[in-house]
Amino acid sequence: MNLTQQLINGIVLGHAFALVAIGWTLLLGVARLVNFGHGQMYMLGAFVTWWAVVKAGVPYVLAVPIAMAIGALFGLVMQRVMLKATFEQNLVSIMIMTLGFGYVLHGGAALVFGSTGQILDTALSRNDITIGDLWFTWQDAAIVIAAIVVFVGLKWVLDGTRVGRLVRMVAEDPKLAMLAGVNVRRVYYGVFAFEGAAVAFAAGMVAPRTPILTSMGFEEVIMTFVVVVLGGIGSVTGSYVAGVALGLFTALFGALVSPAYTSAAAFLVLIAVLVLRPRGLSAGPAAGAH
Amino acid sequence: MTSQRLQHIALPLVGLGVFVAPAAFGGTGSVYSAAVLIAIFAVMAYGLDVIVSDLGEVSLAHTVFFAVGSYTTAWLSTKAGAGAWVTLGASIAVVLIFAAFIGLVTLRLREFVFSLVTYAVAVVAMSVASNWAFLGGSDGIRGIPMLDLSIAGLPLTARNDGELWPYAFALLAITIYVVDRFRHSRLGAAAIMTHLNPRLATMSGIDPARVRLQVFLVSAPISAAAGWLYAYQRAYVSADVLENYFLILMLTAVVLMGRRQLLGPLAATALVLMQEKFFSLGGYVDKIVLGSVLVLVLAFFPQGLMGLMRPLRRIAQRRAPSQTVITTVENPK
Repeated sequence: MNLTQQLINGIVLGHAFALVAIGWTLLLGVARLVNFGHGQMYMLGAFVTWWAVVKAGVPYVLAVPIAMAIGALFGLVMQRVMLKATFEQNLVSIMIMTLGFGYVLHGGAALVFGSTGQILDTALSRNDITIGDLWFTWQDAAIVIAAIVVFVGLKWVLDGTRVGRLVRMVAEDPKLAMLAGVNVRRVYYGVFAFEGAAVAFAAGMVAPRTPILTSMGFEEVIMTFVVVVLGGIGSVTGSYVAGVALGLFTALFGALVSPAYTSAAAFLVLIAVLVLRPRGLSAGPAAGAH
Repeated sequence: MTSQRLQHIALPLVGLGVFVAPAAFGGTGSVYSAAVLIAIFAVMAYGLDVIVSDLGEVSLAHTVFFAVGSYTTAWLSTKAGAGAWVTLGASIAVVLIFAAFIGLVTLRLREFVFSLVTYAVAVVAMSVASNWAFLGGSDGIRGIPMLDLSIAGLPLTARNDGELWPYAFALLAITIYVVDRFRHSRLGAAAIMTHLNPRLATMSGIDPARVRLQVFLVSAPISAAAGWLYAYQRAYVSADVLENYFLILMLTAVVLMGRRQLLGPLAATALVLMQEKFFSLGGYVDKIVLGSVLVLVLAFFPQGLMGLMRPLRRIAQRRAPSQTVITTVENPK
């Protein structure tokens, strides 16, 4: 095993995990919402990108925004249906509904795109970069750059802009925010639209690495859970660090032990964290948000 | 008191009606097959119902308990030649170990973190089941013998779904009895109190963590027993017993009619399976239908279909409505 190569794989994988998890980070940490249909929304993003590139002949750089628009739209529809439960902060109900949405997406995507596996090839993923005996694709490099840009951008929006302040205000106390004249409903819609667009963007970037299937999405959702929980729920920086750490762990585990059980191993890490640091879950900037 | 006496008369009548229903609907192989599956999946859902309705948490790991029952049965009956009584006992024993482990790990977790971890358990179990050669890997385990519960010369076997129906019905009846007894037991009352008012529960000398674990240990064997019979019904078991379908079906069964309706999960499972077996719109559209039903019920009828009936019943009874227990799915705070 070439250790440096595995470290490179791990860094790419880690940025992919972080990128896939970013929507959840905002959703859960900032707005205290959950989305168990996240994996299926990732699948939808991958298939819309594939469809646009392969079937409609749209260039890849335009296909990703199309997928993001559809992802955002689906996020808005979900939020519309769940609005009452959102205002009641009824997480249990929201959770089951998002599971239901994921199941609907799975059936719908299989109906529209067929149940056979597809390959999403892009100009970036076909070109390798070779340095000595190390290699990675341009797509891998793009994932790392995109993840860093998105995380820095999100951090800046949340900490430094008026929109970010409103979102944090709603997270802190939705009722008080409403009294202060904040359009809470619009913030919830916005957060869910961001979740939909972000996961579609992540899918457009990451999906070219693997064959895509309408039944996929479970692996992504587990990795997202681990990233969000390990990062300390709600912390944008924490999610980034957790994503990269998980990527390195997964790459080394896959190379040293078994590639088939990487999600099981990641899950054991999650369990260990939960058992050892149950209090750590409430850490993060939105700790007081209920 | 009268309503309780009414229940004592009504329930056996309903039971008799359910028992002869497949014969009344033509008694063909496909009718019996649907009836057996309805009974099995309803039993599976009752396991989850106890957690959702009484404990107020949403466990997403019950597909794992169902699968533990199926896999234990498949493995022991094909590799060790074990009989159906042995596989039933072993299924319950193995699932108790699983439930104790998951219960202990998640003891201090609440709400979505609890659900998130139990969901992760289910996804990981699926990847383990489809990769581990010990459990047959992606091929699963084939060649499970027919159900044979014969005791002391009394032959009790089932070669097809028609013959399996009495056993499936018996398992269902026992399950409903157990769930009913549980709700009238000290543990059932403690679970409700822990769920609705944890502080009061603690002051009354109830240890919430202990109650949670105990309810978990009551509920898991119910789903595992369903898995046990499912293995005999299908004659093979593979990782698809861990598919999301079972999870979504269970959740729909629990919420469709409304929480804490004794016959709710059975009625909901019957509705869903009858749609799939006799009015199917193709596998993918059926998925969309089932998922949409789950979402729409929670979004617009959080008290379930029985909640719609409540005002009607109130008019019929012309008296003040009885206090209904509000569960987490309806209103958390």
